Parts: sequence; C-alpha cells; structure tokens
Amino acid sequence: MMLIIEAILLAGLISIATAIIFGRDLMVSVVIYCAFSFITMFLYIIMGAPDVAFTEAVIGVISTVFFIIILRSVKRDAKRRGEK
Amino acid sequence: MRKALTVLLLTAAITLPFMFFDILPDIGDPASAPNSHVSDYYIEHAIDECNSPNMVTAVIVDYRAFDTMFETTVMFLAGVAVILILAYHPKRRLIVPSRFRRFDARTGEPMYNTVNKDVMVSIIQALILIYAIYVLFHGEVSLGGGFQAGALIGMTYLLDVMVCRREVPLFRLGKFKAAGTAGLGPFIYAVTGLLPFIGGGLYLQYSKLPFPVHEAELHSIGITIVEIGVTIGVAGTIIAIINALRERIAFDDEL
Amino acid sequence: MLTTVNAFLAAKGIYLLTFILFSLGTAGMIVCNNYMKKLICMNIMQVAVIFFFLCLGQKNGGTFPVALSEAVRAEEYINPLPHGLMLTAIVVSLGTTGVGLSLLLRLLRIREKYGTVEEDEIIRREQKI
Repeated sequence: MMLIIEAILLAGLISIATAIIFGRDLMVSVVIYCAFSFITMFLYIIMGAPDVAFTEAVIGVISTVFFIIILRSVKRDAKRRGEK
Repeated sequence: MRKALTVLLLTAAITLPFMFFDILPDIGDPASAPNSHVSDYYIEHAIDECNSPNMVTAVIVDYRAFDTMFETTVMFLAGVAVILILAYHPKRRLIVPSRFRRFDARTGEPMYNTVNKDVMVSIIQALILIYAIYVLFHGEVSLGGGFQAGALIGMTYLLDVMVCRREVPLFRLGKFKAAGTAGLGPFIYAVTGLLPFIGGGLYLQYSKLPFPVHEAELHSIGITIVEIGVTIGVAGTIIAIINALRERIAFDDEL
Repeated sequence: MLTTVNAFLAAKGIYLLTFILFSLGTAGMIVCNNYMKKLICMNIMQVAVIFFFLCLGQKNGGTFPVALSEAVRAEEYINPLPHGLMLTAIVVSLGTTGVGLSLLLRLLRIREKYGTVEEDEIIRREQKI
C-alpha cells in the first residue's frame, strides 16, 4: 500500500519537473519549485524518514527564497523570460 | 522539439540498462545488503552505548562523528566562498541630478507598516527561535538535531531581513562577522574531539571525556556540545550567504 | 492484482521512476538555456539521489528509527544509516545552491561589462585595450 502511494507521489514529482523544464516564464518555475519541495517532504514522511523530512521542509523554504531574491533583482539587467 | 527529443533520449539511456538486469535489491527486504552488516549493530546498541533513543542522531554524531565534523567544515567553506566570489567593485553609478536626490534617503524603506507584516512576523520570529532551541536540545531523545536548529535560526534572520526591513536586523552581523561565527562551529567540534585525550581515550571518544559524571551522561554531554557547534556553523553560513547576496542586489528602481 | 502491482513496484517500479526523475534533472541542466533553470534542475537531481538512498533502507513492517521499549530486534526498525548521510547532504546542497547563485550574479556583471559571456570575445576585447 505504501509503495502505491509512493509511486503516485513520484509520478506527481515527475510531472512537476517536466513543467519546470518546459515552462516559459521563470517566475512560474520558481514557484513550482516550492511545490516540488513540499511534495518531497510528504514523500520522505511516507518512507519513514521524519528527520530528513523536517530538514527538507526548512531547507526548501530557504532555497526558494534565495531563488526569488535573485530573480527579482536580475530583472533589471536581462529579460526575465527565455534567454540569459 | 529539440529539447523534448534530448530529454527523451537521455531518459532512455539512463533508465533502460537498469530495467533489463536484476542488479538492485528489492525494496523492503530486511536481508538485503544495505540492511545487513553494520546497521544491525547500530540499531541494537544505540541506546546502550550512546544513551540516545534517536538512532539517526546516534549514527551521525556518535558512531560517525568524524564525517559530521567535515560536513560542518564544508558548510563554513561554502559561506566563505560566497563572500569571496562576490567581492568585486560595485557598479559605477551615473551622476544623479539634484531634483532626484531628495528621494535617496527613503529608498529601500517599506512603503507601509501594517500590523500583519510587522507585529505578527515579530511574534512568529520569537516562536521559531524558541522552537529552534527546543529542537537542538531535544535532538537526542526524539527527532531533531543540530542541522534543523541551525536552519531554523537562519530562516528567522531571512524573515527579518526580507519582510520587515528595519534599520537594525535581528542579529547585527555583517558578512565577515557571520562567516567568522560560522567558523566557530567546526572549531567547537574539533576541540570537543581533542578533550578525550586528557581522559586517556581516542579522538572523539565521548566515554573518556574528563567530566566527573556517570558514564552514560558523558555521551549526552558530548553529543550536546557537538550539536551546538553544528548549529552555530549552519546558522552562521546561512546569515553570511544572505548578507553577501543582499549587497549586490537592488529591489527598487534606483537612479 | 494488488500483490502483483506491489511486487513489480518493489522490484523495479520505484527505481524506474527515480531514474526518470534523475535523468529529467540532468537533461534539464543540459538543455535549458536559462541559468536559473539549470540551478533548479540541479536541485531536482539531488532530490532523486536522496530518494534512491532512502529506498535502500526500507524494511517491510518497520517503524521510525526511534528506540521504543517494546521492540528490541533490529528487524523492526528502518535502517538509520542512510538517513544520517542524507541529512547532511540536504544541508550541503543549500550551500551549493548559494555558491551557484553567487556565480550567477558574477556572470551577469561580466555580461553587463563586456556585452557577452563568450570567453574568446572577452579575451579579444581585453587585449585590444
């Protein structure tokens, strides 16, 4: 039963990763990365690793805020969509 | 089209060899190779020898303490590397005409201070700090440890700097002082490793620490001091990275 | 039906999905033109690797690796050794992301000063001055 739930969550992660690679806007990718981090936290809890899940929850938030900081500041130098 | 084709080919190249050969063990098998040999010893003797019911803490801070010391060093080096990479001369600005200069003094301050943003975030910061210290000291009985506590303290500083931008943030550390504080973490760890030499033991052997308490307490004391070192290392690195990145970015449209 | 699905997932299915996620992360780093997306795909790759390690430590019917007074045999606890290794890996990946972002800022300053990020152009421009 747990394996089936893990497989469903992993399929969700794969679809989120596809949306990150093939998306056009960059802000959408960063926000979806926050959802990615959140679902991996659930995955780690289901696998029986609550220490790792706790750490992932905190580090995911800090990492996403780093990306948002850089994203908002480099908007002035280059185009935000597409090429860098 | 080209992107999708590349992704598909790389996926097939990595995935297919593992599907045709039975190399990897079954998931959930208690007799597979990673679950035998040394993990059984760690599980059965964690509470006798290390006096800590949390087996993950017993593994990373007691049985494999040497690895964790160098992980903390790597975190400190990451903080130092960020400061060194971002050490170039700032961008030369144009000469500002005098009619725009009167806006300079208030650039960067928030436009409005509301109850939601400032007061509630201050209350939440206090609760997160209390929780971080609880997680740090409770790490050997239940879930937690040094890494989580350090990341929580770093998150408190991030909240303070990003949401309510006061003149004096929570920890008054510039980037150099924060990196120096982060260096204190591995230092505490290494000195705690040297103390058992006085009692006649090996490096990082907590049962020979020179404190006059019961033997089971010695492991608890050693683990707590080492976790404090890890927390200071991780929190200092996160604060150093945030401060180093903040000097090179600009949020508003400055002239 | 349920047992055959479980048996397939335990032997090969979960590993298949993990490798697909890993290769998506790698291919994303190679294919995406945007530098921020490359950093995000690096973190996706790291999640796949950590999940693979945690898979190897599973046990059927095991509980969290916190010692209870009832269960004393080693078969009833999940293997704590991969958890410890992956804990430090997650925190180190935060440092790696920070260094990557600082390199990105440096690259943008170079592009602003020289107009390009190609190495031969920059060398040619420096030698003319």
